[in-house]
Amino acid sequence: MTVAAGLGYALIALGPAFSLFAGVVARKPFLVLTLLSSTLFWLMSLIVLSGIWRGFLPIKSGTWWAYAILIITSVALQEGTRLVFWRLYKKMEEMLDAFADRISKPRLSLTDKMLISFAGGLGHGVAHAVFFCLSLLTPAFGRATFYVERCSKMPFFLASALIALGFLVIHTFSMIIAFNAYDEKKKCDQIVVPVVHLAAAVMMLVNLAPGGCLIGTPLLLVMAVLTLQYCWRVACRRLTEHQHRQLNN
Amino acid sequence: MADAAAAVPGDPRDGPTVLDSLGEDITRIVYPVTTCMLLVVLLVSLLSSPSAPSPLAASIAATTGGGGVSGGGDDIPTALVTALTFVVAVTAATFLLALLFYLRCTPCLRAYLGFSALSVLLVLGGQVALLLLSRLRLPLDAVSFALLLPNAAGALALAALAPASVPIALHQAALVAIAVLTAFWFTLLPEWTTWALLVAMAIYDLAAVLLPGGPLRVLLRLAIERNEEIPALVYEARPVDPRHGRNWRLWREGGQPGASSTTVEVIGEVLGRNLDCNSGYSSSPQVHEVATSAGDANNSRPRATLAAALSSADSSIAQAEEVPVLQEHRVAVAEMRVPLIQPHPERYGEEEEDEDGIGLSSSGAIKLGLGDFIFYSVLVGRAAMYDYMTVYACYLAIIAGLGITLLLLAFFRKALPALPVSITLGVVFYVLTRTLLEEFVVQCSTNLLMF
Repeated sequence: MTVAAGLGYALIALGPAFSLFAGVVARKPFLVLTLLSSTLFWLMSLIVLSGIWRGFLPIKSGTWWAYAILIITSVALQEGTRLVFWRLYKKMEEMLDAFADRISKPRLSLTDKMLISFAGGLGHGVAHAVFFCLSLLTPAFGRATFYVERCSKMPFFLASALIALGFLVIHTFSMIIAFNAYDEKKKCDQIVVPVVHLAAAVMMLVNLAPGGCLIGTPLLLVMAVLTLQYCWRVACRRLTEHQHRQLNN
Repeated sequence: MADAAAAVPGDPRDGPTVLDSLGEDITRIVYPVTTCMLLVVLLVSLLSSPSAPSPLAASIAATTGGGGVSGGGDDIPTALVTALTFVVAVTAATFLLALLFYLRCTPCLRAYLGFSALSVLLVLGGQVALLLLSRLRLPLDAVSFALLLPNAAGALALAALAPASVPIALHQAALVAIAVLTAFWFTLLPEWTTWALLVAMAIYDLAAVLLPGGPLRVLLRLAIERNEEIPALVYEARPVDPRHGRNWRLWREGGQPGASSTTVEVIGEVLGRNLDCNSGYSSSPQVHEVATSAGDANNSRPRATLAAALSSADSSIAQAEEVPVLQEHRVAVAEMRVPLIQPHPERYGEEEEDEDGIGLSSSGAIKLGLGDFIFYSVLVGRAAMYDYMTVYACYLAIIAGLGITLLLLAFFRKALPALPVSITLGVVFYVLTRTLLEEFVVQCSTNLLMF
């Protein structure tokens, strides 16, 4: 429905990401590079996934359990990618610290580490929004709109933009929680992140039912808000502890 | 929470950490490459007809019965022949360039550079402008157009060729404009020809720089011996950190036997080049002077390759003594610019020149030749003719290739071509996206199943 609608959908999916980028990530060039590399990682995991599943597509519409298996394998692979990303980040952190020592500058502070994990999460989220929503948005710039059969109350583009927004928030902030958990070795947080991801993805199965997208999309946004709130708690706790430790020293 | 909020911004105890300016070099070259690709994608989507409809567009537009434009009259043998001709012509032209450089014909090379920049902007720019005017239905009469076009073309050509006399932003914008126009022109070639050309140029670049008899290597050696500047179209990233006062950088001395730089140091040098070298570069500063060389561009498209040729001249040794004494270390890091000339195929009469290559300029910023810009944008523009998903995938692949090339440059410290890694990754990702990814994503998305 014209350029205005297309732009509107694109902004629904990526507006918050854009402002986060402009406000936080663009200030430090290293974060931009982190964002680009985590986007690349996510894309590579998606390509591997599609390689695995290519032989089984197209899935017949009646078999919802096939979709369930698809989702579970996808989430498992992406969580594996997160672990690999964490390992690479640890190596990079060592190199950066050694470099900082060599040029007599202070090492990475806690804020820096959180910023790096934030940029990484934002990269994942942006990759998700771009590949699942933005790349399919081209027809929306034309003259008409498109409705999927099972979701006759919301245009397809609107539904996918809202879902992309939800997942963007979830990816971004669960990366901060995850890196924090790996760093502090807190088992419960380490479990929370994959569980949240899986729950959000499984929730999308509701969309398979006729009219289900009216339930699935708001639920996903609620999930995103919950992730955001949890991340806020984790970050605050960590930063206050860090500050107290510094005051005591 | 107020405490945490107060503690969050900047951690005043620590001061500016190493994260503040790290990687700024790479970002300053990624942004213009991104802009060039973005402009080419925009032009392509506005002005070209699609090569083949993507699955989603086809499924949506099924009722209208539209779509399905085949890539008309274009097959693999023709494409291969065309690409081969191009590469042969480029090789010949590079040898010719080396010969001219050897004979010191600088004025004619310089004049040619100006002529080709002007012709790109005038002819191609005029063509694109006309297409845009007709596509967007903008009202502009012929007289105004005839007045505006030559003026704009002349001004931009001047800005591109005389960087010292115009603001650097204008100079960079003019270079990007030239690259965009040339890349857009290249995307007008038939599909298989474009892909064959890209792959052939990548292979040629690799061979020409790394093989002992390669033309670029010959030119490189000539340029090192001569220590000369070549006037060429090269994009120079803005000098970084003016508050640090200088844009010099320190390189480890290349001639040191057994001086193996660890990953840390190499990456540190690549990423942290613009950190203030006075702020306590504790280990003995090894000053390294890289010979500056520049290749003149000839009647074709010169392409320099990625090179950081190292050599020590007498002046660098003298400076090395002065280094502990002087407040400021002057490291002249030269750039290796090896133009690779590519004449156009016979059916097109245009000739232009740009330069390729990644190097380090005397002001310390990264320089990337215009030919690299052009071929990256051609790849992305061709991907845009299929669908936007391929555009995003190819963009990420090219940027990743660029980063890898920079790291390889820091490791090997010798002449390296800038095209092969990016083009290979770009083509691989294009193929993977088109065959595997698209079907998968469309399946999941149309069922509103995302993860």
